[in-house]
Amino acid sequence: MTMNVTNHRVPEQGVSRAAGVDDPASSQRSEPDAAPALPTATKPGAIRRIVSTRAFIAVRSFAAFLALWYLLAAWVGNPIQLPSPLRVAAALISLGADGELFDHALISTTRLAISLVVAVLLAVPLGFFMGLSPKANAYLDPVVELLRPISGIAWIPLGLFIFGVGDVLPVFIMVYVAFFPLLLNTIAGVRHVDGKLVNAARTMGVGRRAMLRHVIVPAALPTVMVGFRLAFAGAWAAIIAAELIGSPSGLGFAIEWYRQLLMTPKVYGFIVVIGIVGYLCDLALRALQRWLTPWAEGMELA
Amino acid sequence: MNQETAMSKLRLRNVAKHFIAPRTGQLTTAVTDVNLDIETGEFVCIVGPSGCGKSTVLNLIAGLDTPTSGTIEANGAPIVAPGADRGVMFQDYALMPWMSVHDNIGFGLNYGTPGEGLTREQREKRIRHFVDLVRLNGSEKKYPHQLSGGMRQRVALARLLANGPDILLMDEPLGALDSQTRLILQVELLRIWGETAPREQRKTAIFITHDIEEAVFLGDRVVVMSTHPGRVKAIIPVDLPRPRSEHIRADPRFGQLSDEIWDLIRDEAYRAIDGTEAPAGPKATAVEKVE
Repeated sequence: MTMNVTNHRVPEQGVSRAAGVDDPASSQRSEPDAAPALPTATKPGAIRRIVSTRAFIAVRSFAAFLALWYLLAAWVGNPIQLPSPLRVAAALISLGADGELFDHALISTTRLAISLVVAVLLAVPLGFFMGLSPKANAYLDPVVELLRPISGIAWIPLGLFIFGVGDVLPVFIMVYVAFFPLLLNTIAGVRHVDGKLVNAARTMGVGRRAMLRHVIVPAALPTVMVGFRLAFAGAWAAIIAAELIGSPSGLGFAIEWYRQLLMTPKVYGFIVVIGIVGYLCDLALRALQRWLTPWAEGMELA
Repeated sequence: MNQETAMSKLRLRNVAKHFIAPRTGQLTTAVTDVNLDIETGEFVCIVGPSGCGKSTVLNLIAGLDTPTSGTIEANGAPIVAPGADRGVMFQDYALMPWMSVHDNIGFGLNYGTPGEGLTREQREKRIRHFVDLVRLNGSEKKYPHQLSGGMRQRVALARLLANGPDILLMDEPLGALDSQTRLILQVELLRIWGETAPREQRKTAIFITHDIEEAVFLGDRVVVMSTHPGRVKAIIPVDLPRPRSEHIRADPRFGQLSDEIWDLIRDEAYRAIDGTEAPAGPKATAVEKVE
């Protein structure tokens, strides 16, 4: 059992074993074919491990991306359309120095956090209700399926009309966007609770309330968390659209503002920030997922 | 006879269970004509080829399913729903993956009827007692995914016993273990069941297995079931002395009983593999030895 776990968590070890480094019998048997594998086998294990870590691979792919960008910018030759990465970096530094970058990022992430909390409060209880009651599901599911394919962005003009320019519009759009993945994953999580666990609890004389609280909720939680991450991804994509049009502040607003001023490096700078903030939030959510549902690691792959 | 049945802990009369396939609407008979009387303190093993309805019978007794016809009584009262008086140990343990060993063992005590009227200290004491009994000291804080199959099985057993059930229902609890762990846990199971205690103080146990030797080793009686439809084919009393140790397997009587049960099952076991008939000729003792 322990063996399985280590193999699962550290695939590099399994690879080196498979390459026949520690196994004299297999390397003897396959001597003629072993030639191509030899250079890697003679490399010190530590360097090989660092070179093949995910972080190092990410650095390399990122370097390639920047190089391509640089060449493309040089080829285009128009800094208003495509500034070089160096100019964008300079713009980022100046935006960071006068604090503007952090102000906008903070406003957007605050809106995001509020929207996600509201979406969770609406979608998760409703999801449990629909997951547990086939009747409720039969009534509500058609409405959900009708609204779900409508992009959050479609509501922006109407939202502008109703809420005006301000905080409410982006929050409304994000709640709308985050609502559906949360709802559908909660329903799925509740429906797919392992019947064996429910049966086990029944044979121990567990009542309805305790069943919900101590079996259904924890069993559905990993799937709900997957829904939460999807909700975040959707909301983060939608907030920029909402702020472009319907907000006097935030990252989306900043992009539009500097576009109108033709300060393209700053526009790109904010776009980069959107990517970075999104990535950091997702890392935080993954950490939250691991902390809340440590038993369900790797479940989202299934 | 009447006196004897009046004492029965569990009584199954003409029990049948049919299932209707959801799409095709086809009716299948899982089990039929099951008649069984189980006495207090008895250890009954059920063996049979896969598909003979062993698990169905167990689920019916547990109250997780209701029979299509026939009656099932525990202590003279009909079984209508699951209850903590009939503890179940599931084939894949059904431990709560989000709970530590300690909390899993205490699940019924903390959230179900077995803990009613007990203070927190009393429940804790009881959990600790069963942690000791199944020798899981030091692993209380671990989670099921951090445990070996044998340890998970012990957690499931401790959880079962901590609820203080009257009747133990076990569905191939040792099926997923390697053969050595299995032998050790068989002995341990008998110890925990109360083999050395007088019969009235033992639990009543029903143990499903596909392993004939396991059934003979553990049981007071072995119920042999057959397929198509699931039926009780024979009930073999196991007249081996208790307490039993691993060495009882060397007893000639152990071999005789195993052989007798194998003869009851072998035709169907062969058919289950590839639809062919079992080889003709003398008793399949050679096959038995290999198995």
